[in-house]
Formats: sequence, C-alpha cells, structure tokens
Amino acid sequence: MKGLTFTLRAEPEERLDLSALTPDRLDGMSVAEIAKLRVGISRRPALVGDIFRITGKDVSQIAFDGGSSRFDGIGTGMSGGTLYVSGDVGAQAGRKMTGGTIVIEGSCGIHAGSGMIGGKLEIHGHAGDYLGGPLAGEMLGMEGGVLVVRGRAGHYAGDRMRRGVIAILKGCGDYAGSRMIAGSIAVKGRVGAMPGYMMKRGSLLFDRRPETLSPTFIDCGRVDIAFSGLFDRYLIEEGILDKPLLGRKPGKYGGDTAVLGKGEILFRLGR
Amino acid sequence: MSVAWVGSQVVSLSDAIQHAAKLLASSHCPVISFDADVHGTRSVIALAEKLGAAYDHIRGRDLVNEITLFTSYGGMFTTPGEVRRRADLVVLVGDIPAEHHDLILSWASAPADLAAKDARRWFHLKANRPAPDNTGMNSLSRKVKAVALSAEGASLGSAVALLRAELADRPTVTSLTNLDKLKKALAEAAFPVFVFSGNTDEPMSLAMLQGLVADLNKAKRASSLFLPTDDAAWGAVLTCVWATGFPPRTGFPNGAPVYDPRRWDIERMLREKEADLHLWISARDSASPARRGGIPFIALVRTISPVPGAAVTIAVARPGVDHDSVTYSSRIGTFRAERASAPSDQPEVADIVRELAEALPC
Repeated sequence: MKGLTFTLRAEPEERLDLSALTPDRLDGMSVAEIAKLRVGISRRPALVGDIFRITGKDVSQIAFDGGSSRFDGIGTGMSGGTLYVSGDVGAQAGRKMTGGTIVIEGSCGIHAGSGMIGGKLEIHGHAGDYLGGPLAGEMLGMEGGVLVVRGRAGHYAGDRMRRGVIAILKGCGDYAGSRMIAGSIAVKGRVGAMPGYMMKRGSLLFDRRPETLSPTFIDCGRVDIAFSGLFDRYLIEEGILDKPLLGRKPGKYGGDTAVLGKGEILFRLGR
Repeated sequence: MSVAWVGSQVVSLSDAIQHAAKLLASSHCPVISFDADVHGTRSVIALAEKLGAAYDHIRGRDLVNEITLFTSYGGMFTTPGEVRRRADLVVLVGDIPAEHHDLILSWASAPADLAAKDARRWFHLKANRPAPDNTGMNSLSRKVKAVALSAEGASLGSAVALLRAELADRPTVTSLTNLDKLKKALAEAAFPVFVFSGNTDEPMSLAMLQGLVADLNKAKRASSLFLPTDDAAWGAVLTCVWATGFPPRTGFPNGAPVYDPRRWDIERMLREKEADLHLWISARDSASPARRGGIPFIALVRTISPVPGAAVTIAVARPGVDHDSVTYSSRIGTFRAERASAPSDQPEVADIVRELAEALPC
C-alpha cells in the first residue's frame, strides 16, 4: 500500500498547526475525513484539503511533498511509523514524540524535538533555538530518543535535557546544554558562549575546545576513558558522523560547579 | 477638537468606530499591539477574544526576558516594603533602570526597622567588562556605599555563577572580589535580598540567581526583588495574567487563550506577513507602528492629528493625566489608583475598545 502523501498546493497564507497529521492520529480515517481536518489558526482557518492534495492510504508512512516555515507541530506526539518532509518546517517539529522516525529535508524553526521522549528526528538543514528544549512553564526538555541536526542549531540547544542523544553537525549557538540534567549532546563545529551553563549532569561532546566557558567549569586535563571511543563508534555506526568526534584521549572540563557539578564537557584536543 | 479620522478625513467618533469595526471584522488575522492601563488592557483582551486575534504589548520585545523569568525559571520574590523594613543585607545585581534608583536610595536613608540591627549592608554584583554606564548604576552603587563583587573579565552570568559556586564552597577557575566580606555579611544577616531587573542580555543569569536564592533558603531566609524596566508595561503583563492566565503574546486561535511568545510575536507576524490588519493602541504617547509591507493599521493613540498611513485614527486619553486610572507601581509592589492630573474629555482606551467590540458583527 502506498504511503499517505500530502502535496502542498501553494505556500500557505497562515501558520498551520499540523500536529493532527501523524500516523497515530490519522489511523482509521478516510481521505475525505482527513481533508476536513482544521489546520489553520486564523479566524477563517484552512482545512487540510485546502492546503494539500492527498494521495495514498498507508498512514504509517506519511510524506509531505513540499514544506514551509509555517508548518508548526509536525509529528507532535508521534509514537510510530515514519514521517518525511521534503522542505522546511516551522516550530515544534517532533514535539513530545515517543517513537517512529521523522526526517526533515529542510530547516526547522524553534523548539524542534521539544520534550521528545523516544524515536528519531533527523533534520537535514538548520534548527532554531531551544532544540529539544521545554516550552514556557515546562520543567523538562528532551527525555529520550535521538535528534540529529545536519546543519547548525540555534541558542539553548538541549536546554533542560534529561535523557537521549542530540547530534549537531555544523555548530550551535550560545548556552548549549543549559540546565541539562542528563543525556548527551555532540556538536561538530563552532560552539557559542557558555555551553553547559547550570548543567547538573550529562555530557557535552565537542570536536574542539569551547571558546567561552563559565568560570564554574574546571579543567580536568586529558582523560583516558572508554566512553569517548564508545560514543565515537556509536556516532559512526548510526551514520551520524563518518569520522570520530572526540578521539581516544579527549580533554575534559567538569561542571557546572555553580549547581551539582557532575556534568562534563569532553572535547577533541589538538584543534 | 477632532478626535477621529478615516485616513486624513475628519469623521465623527462613531463613524470611525464603525469603520474600524468593519476592517476588523473582514480581517483574516488581526493583531493588536497595545500600551494601556488596567481597564484598557482588559478591554483589549476582551476584543482579542471576540475577534480571535493575538495581542502583544508595544514593548513586548523588552518584556520577553522579564516574562521568561516567571514562565521558564520561577523564583522566590519579596516586596519593596519587606526589603525596606526587614532586609539587613541588600545585593544589587547587574544594572537596575534609573527609574528605580530613588526607591533604592530611599532604603539607604531609612533603617530596617523590623530587622535586629538598624544598619543595612550593601553589595553590588556586576559584570567586569568595559561598557558605558547608561543607567547610572556606578553612581548609585557609590551613593549606597555598595561593596563591588566582580571578577576579571566576567559577564554578569559568570559573576552570578561564581557567587553561587563559591558560597557553596565548590571549586571555580577564578574568584569574586570581596567575597569574604559578603560571606561574613551573609552569615550575620537575617534577611538578605537580591535586587535585580529582568532586562538583561543574559536571561539565563536570572535563572542562576534564583538558584542561588533557593540555595540560601536551605539554611536561612533570603529572597529577591524584581524591579521591572517599565512599571506601566509590567502592570499590563499582570493584568493579562489575571485575565487569561497568560502574559502577553497570547492569541485566541480556537476561542481559548494560547500563550506562545514566538507564534504571537506581533512584530514577527507583521514582518512575515502572517497578519493582515494591525490595531495599534498607545495611550501613553503618539508613537505609531513602523510600517511593514503595507499592512493596514488602525491607530488609537494620544494625538491631535491623524496618524500618517493609518486607515483609522482615534485620539485617546492618557491614563493618569486625562482620566483616573489604575497602574502598577514598583514602589509598593502592586497596583495603585491614580488621579487624573489634568482631566479632559478625551475618550479613554477602554471605552473606545469596548465600543469597537460591540460594533463587531457577532
């Protein structure tokens, strides 16, 4: 059976809340029913059928042919199946997803992977601020799963992260891993100011020494630990990187001593 | 004197309201930027709810960090009265807007009458980077004889982190100046208070500061005092929270309020042409919105002439000047009634917006 495909008719005139178009929520619905779902957020909101041409039937494989920075909430709460977007998306892609795979060929807006619990979200372009981070009023950021950004991420990537893996392949903005409780964030490329600010535990893994750190991170020198090799192998085996990120004996900072201080920043020496 | 215009044409107030209501009713995505007193703010929220519109304060960009302190970090806060009467140790944190300097100086000249000791000790935790003293903070610090707490080349975020780590006897790369003096003062103080403003380049430093206050509360009572950058704007924020449960940058896409500081960022919505009509309400001055992409706007401002480019202009009264009002005051930490200083018959924002809402087709 052919996967359910939403082909974008034209650039939408309003922001769209596409959180209803996931395998779980569309299961058992006919194409006619899907076309009548409301996705616009203006006073005269657009319906799915106004924005997309719908083909295919298999709701476990959803594809969006065409993207827009006005596509908010793609894959929200997804628990299984696959979702593919051939272009850009807006805010909160993959929010609270618990399983399945989302692939976005373009770039994402703010809060991609916010509160993610499981599954895999792969963004081929750039991601906005608060990658995996909580929304206003929430206590926890990412709680599990794998989030890969093949471009650059904005500020506060992995804010309040508790579990899971974030990999960013072209650098990120300031305050990466802020208020982190646990989990791992790997960044290839330039990292902005104050990574790990207020992190309690968890690992920040960089391919170079961070430029601006809070004075509450202590230089622990060069460490010979199995974890760096293990994680490098994981990144290569998963196809996230093609070369080791850290190498055999990375440098290490411990912190943030302003809080619990059990976090670590590991980085490749010699760059 | 004329108070209403359609384009540049003088019209009656009721005609202007009818015309504005028609524009609002035909709009797909109307947005509201406002700056009003409590009654004006309530009327704006009611109109937004009826329209299914989104609203933000005119100073929304400045308010974001202050609001984030409460929506994303939380904290322990006290009132100015408690600080004046009870705080025997005051730590000023970073720059505090000049509007609040008189309040702080008044504490310096009055004893903490509910504290065990009359003498109040002062410290100033600050960044140590070359920057112009735009707020006169150095002068204030000298006047209250505050002991400086800083570290070589440290930003405010670094300084707060250092203080928190060093007070917990955890290792740091460098040390704050005068830390021993602060430790001694903290040991002797019954009620230390950290006074700060939310408008900072490093919002995360506010989260660290609140963590520090929480740490201190494990052993003794301590608190913080938040002084907003703009009292009137903060009053509007509190009014919104009271009325809808959320601060500004709230929309009513499905009839219920939804808070989203990015989605309902009115400036962004106009820039990206998501909005198709802008209602601009400024009861304090005649400032008009920056024109963005020819999106039509309705102006409710303090003016004596039509606003250039506005589809409809209605002159409104200034709260506290033309009419009695209720506004927020940092000095008392709550709202206060304010008598009109020069009463006039200019229409109030609340009345105009209410009439606009009534003129809308149901």
